[in-house]
Amino acid sequence: MWLLALLFLTPAVLMILTAFKPEAEVLNPASAIPKHWTLENFAYVLGWAEEAPFTRWLLNSLFISTSVTLLVAVFSSMAAFAITRLKAPGGGLFLGIVVASMMIPGQLFLVPLYLMLSRLHWLDTPAALIVPATAGGFGVFMLSAFMRSIPGAVEEAALIDGCSPLGLYLNVSLPLCAPAVATLAIFTFIGSWNDFMGPLVFMDSVRNYTLPVGIALYQSSYYAEYGKTLATSALATAPLIIVFLAFQRQIVDSMASTGLKE
Amino acid sequence: MTYVQKRSLSGLLFLAPYALAFAAFVLAPIAVALVLAFMQFDLTSRSTIHFVGAKNFSDAVKDDYFRQAFVVTLRYVVLMVPGLIVASLGMAMGMNAMTRGRNTVRALLFLPGMFNVAVTAILWMWFYDGQFGLFNYLLKGMGVGPAPWLSDKSWAMGSIVLMSLWWACGGTAIILLAALQQIPKQIFEAAAIDGAGPAPLFSKITLPQLKPVLLFVVVTNTIAAFQVFGQPYLLTRGGPELSTRGLVQYIYETAFNNYRLGYGAAMSWLLFLVVAAFALAQYRFLRRGSV
Repeated sequence: MWLLALLFLTPAVLMILTAFKPEAEVLNPASAIPKHWTLENFAYVLGWAEEAPFTRWLLNSLFISTSVTLLVAVFSSMAAFAITRLKAPGGGLFLGIVVASMMIPGQLFLVPLYLMLSRLHWLDTPAALIVPATAGGFGVFMLSAFMRSIPGAVEEAALIDGCSPLGLYLNVSLPLCAPAVATLAIFTFIGSWNDFMGPLVFMDSVRNYTLPVGIALYQSSYYAEYGKTLATSALATAPLIIVFLAFQRQIVDSMASTGLKE
Repeated sequence: MTYVQKRSLSGLLFLAPYALAFAAFVLAPIAVALVLAFMQFDLTSRSTIHFVGAKNFSDAVKDDYFRQAFVVTLRYVVLMVPGLIVASLGMAMGMNAMTRGRNTVRALLFLPGMFNVAVTAILWMWFYDGQFGLFNYLLKGMGVGPAPWLSDKSWAMGSIVLMSLWWACGGTAIILLAALQQIPKQIFEAAAIDGAGPAPLFSKITLPQLKPVLLFVVVTNTIAAFQVFGQPYLLTRGGPELSTRGLVQYIYETAFNNYRLGYGAAMSWLLFLVVAAFALAQYRFLRRGSV
């Protein structure tokens, strides 16, 4: 198994090592480890001008993914709190509709969303990638299930004693759900960071691209300059690898439990 | 106001932000997609939006490109899903048998899943490159001629599936490993005492015990595989000779390169129906079947 794990890791390691090679060595990969370590690929990538503004794409991606993550965490936890603790009228039915909607494949939404976003004049702006993403059902589904699994008697009593719902949400329910909200936030961030189809369809100008679409575009225009494209890829992946190393246990554990919930 | 009324009111207020987003960006698009599918709506000539009944659907069924894209998608599903399930199950059983370092291996196998599709594709384009690619360099070292990884019709789909397996196996293996660890050890011990070998243990205990989770991963991965887009789009642009252009790429090109939005919406619904039919059939079959 260790061998297989190392085999799986090899492409990623090769990507990083090759990004440090001068172009001549990339094309003649006699040794995996660079003979002459160089930062020229990274310098080249980060020093780009208008036609491929890597730093700009990075900032776009950071801004969009962070906004989506915050909004999803707030909206979903509020909705789950309303359904499970405040017993909002029709909440159960609403949750059922949300879960049913999760079965519909994302590609169905492309054309209508494109039309709606163009009417709103949101195409080619970050709003096109942020606002629709807050409507995803996974967060409400997951947090409602989590809140139902922990007893709500204390919260019920606090409400009857006249505690304000907002205070209850902020001081009791949200802290209780912190692990589940954190898991949701991590998955939302990764999903948004890696989204390819959304920015491909909804973004027009090169400077408004997010990283995945930007580097795909760059790759196709600098064909076969692998040292540079791999440096781009390594830089684009670095933030996620940091997230992964920091939350490795949580990510893998919640991934593991997705099949068991059924 | 009574206590219950007050609680209901604040419940609605707390639900409102998400409910509004859901209505605007899930329910409304579904309605728009449904209406569009029965319209001819071409963005090139602004004035032409009109009702055409089921024409978009009957056009799609007769459209050779649609049929071809459907066959390509099916080929991907048929290669990818069984490959993914077998490979991940093997990986999960391998990890389950480990006594030390299981968590590290688990994380390493999952790592490729963190890469986005563009990075994954760039990396593998470098591996697959006919002239400068790593794979052909290694083949040359072994004295074998260069392989047409992405440039030959009969190779391209296999290469796409291989990359996708590297990308997606770890996630499914983690889910299956968690399920394996839930099987009570006593069942295996009792069967082993009764003299059952590894093959019967696997087919009579492991598989039946895993059935609910296997069903889950088969159905979710089938749904995902039917929607494959990024991997072939980035690696081959659907080529050579459209041999890897699946349905989602055809829909994307119809709607956003040729601006035939009504036709694109109708094809999206057809794909949805196919996916739903497959998922339902698998659900029925695997639940009843004696896997």
